[in-house]
Amino acid sequence: MSFAEAAEQHLDDVYGYLAWFTGDRGLAEELTAETFERALRLWHRFDPRRGSARTWLCQLARTVALDHFRSERRRSRREQLAASAERIEERFADSLSPELEEALRELTAGEREVIALRVLLDLDAGTAARVLGITPTNCTTRLNRALRKLEEALHVAA
Amino acid sequence: MSPRDIRAELSSARVEAPPELRARVRLIAAQAPPPRRLTRRRLTLVLVPVAAAAVVAAAVVLSTRSGPQVRHGEALSTGAIAPKAAAVAPSPTRAQHYEATLRLQVRAIAAAVSSAQRIATSLGGYPVSVHVATGPKAGTADVVLRVPRAHVQSAVAQLSRLGTVVGERLDIQDLQAGLNASDRTIARLQKQLAALRAQPQTDAVKRQIAVLTQRVVTLQREHASTLRRAHFATVRLSLATVAAKHHRHLNVWPWLGGAAAMLVLVLAWRAVRRLRENALLSRP
Repeated sequence: MSFAEAAEQHLDDVYGYLAWFTGDRGLAEELTAETFERALRLWHRFDPRRGSARTWLCQLARTVALDHFRSERRRSRREQLAASAERIEERFADSLSPELEEALRELTAGEREVIALRVLLDLDAGTAARVLGITPTNCTTRLNRALRKLEEALHVAA
Repeated sequence: MSPRDIRAELSSARVEAPPELRARVRLIAAQAPPPRRLTRRRLTLVLVPVAAAAVVAAAVVLSTRSGPQVRHGEALSTGAIAPKAAAVAPSPTRAQHYEATLRLQVRAIAAAVSSAQRIATSLGGYPVSVHVATGPKAGTADVVLRVPRAHVQSAVAQLSRLGTVVGERLDIQDLQAGLNASDRTIARLQKQLAALRAQPQTDAVKRQIAVLTQRVVTLQREHASTLRRAHFATVRLSLATVAAKHHRHLNVWPWLGGAAAMLVLVLAWRAVRRLRENALLSRP
């Protein structure tokens, strides 16, 4: 598979993952582009025997997102921004109910991330765990916690 | 809403990249991959492990060597570390405790042990103990010799020619200061004795004379014993055939400790990185 084919095939997956991870579609677009730029430079390191291109791209996207979070935190410290980050009220997906959208917004980035990988991208526990750098058991635990939190938020909303 | 319903609704969600993003990524994919640059990060990732491995290897090599060690007691002028075939010269004017240890690799244990004993006796010395252990392929021996201190340099030189010197140690301790102090004490006590003998010999005086005389005799015996001991130097030989090799004092602990410390550092760094990551992702 060439890089162009992999990019075409998995662009929606990477963008969707980053959109749910960051909760900010505009930011997710920037990070997606950066992910594929980095992926182009590192394509020679991709080994299909070790995993699918989608998993590899998601791992790369995660690294890009974390680098962004870290640099944002350093910037906000330097600038001594006392206020919390501005909440971006964008939809996670067009087909979700408003209640579920709101509940998703209440989750932390880490909780949305595991939902994006396991549910949105439908990765199995082992693959998602590899992207997150944790054990499959830990991954399943995180997912269950996140879903339980969603359920509680929806129950409260009801 | 049940967890199953939540999951079903989430699964049905579709997120598509906007057209402008797709166009942008297609442009990226159409580019030729940039040439691989030797970045500072890449250099660091290569050089640091190489340097660490070099340090560990050097520590292992250095710890397997046991070069000559010299310990000098008080009031001894510092001499140079003994070259392989000769020991530091003993003092001709001061009593010393002198002990040399040689580790040699030899072709044949029995022949080397005999030769060592012959060398000692030819110089006016004698063997104190001999322990030999031989097997089908290898052998070791531990020999302790006493040779007159005046001939110890010659003894060490001859003994070192019995094989290959793989280790050497020298311990010299000055005894003269103690002997001189003992002489002064004896002289003082004898002066006291002379004074007591000049007095009327009452029972009390006789008792004092007896006590002091006993002390003088004891000190004189100790003095003589020290002089006798100092007359001879001790040479300890540790012999091994090439196959046996000596128990090298491979001090693995420093480099094992270093490797363990590095492992702990790496694990700690990863743990801290994980904690920071979790902190970053724990915000909405």
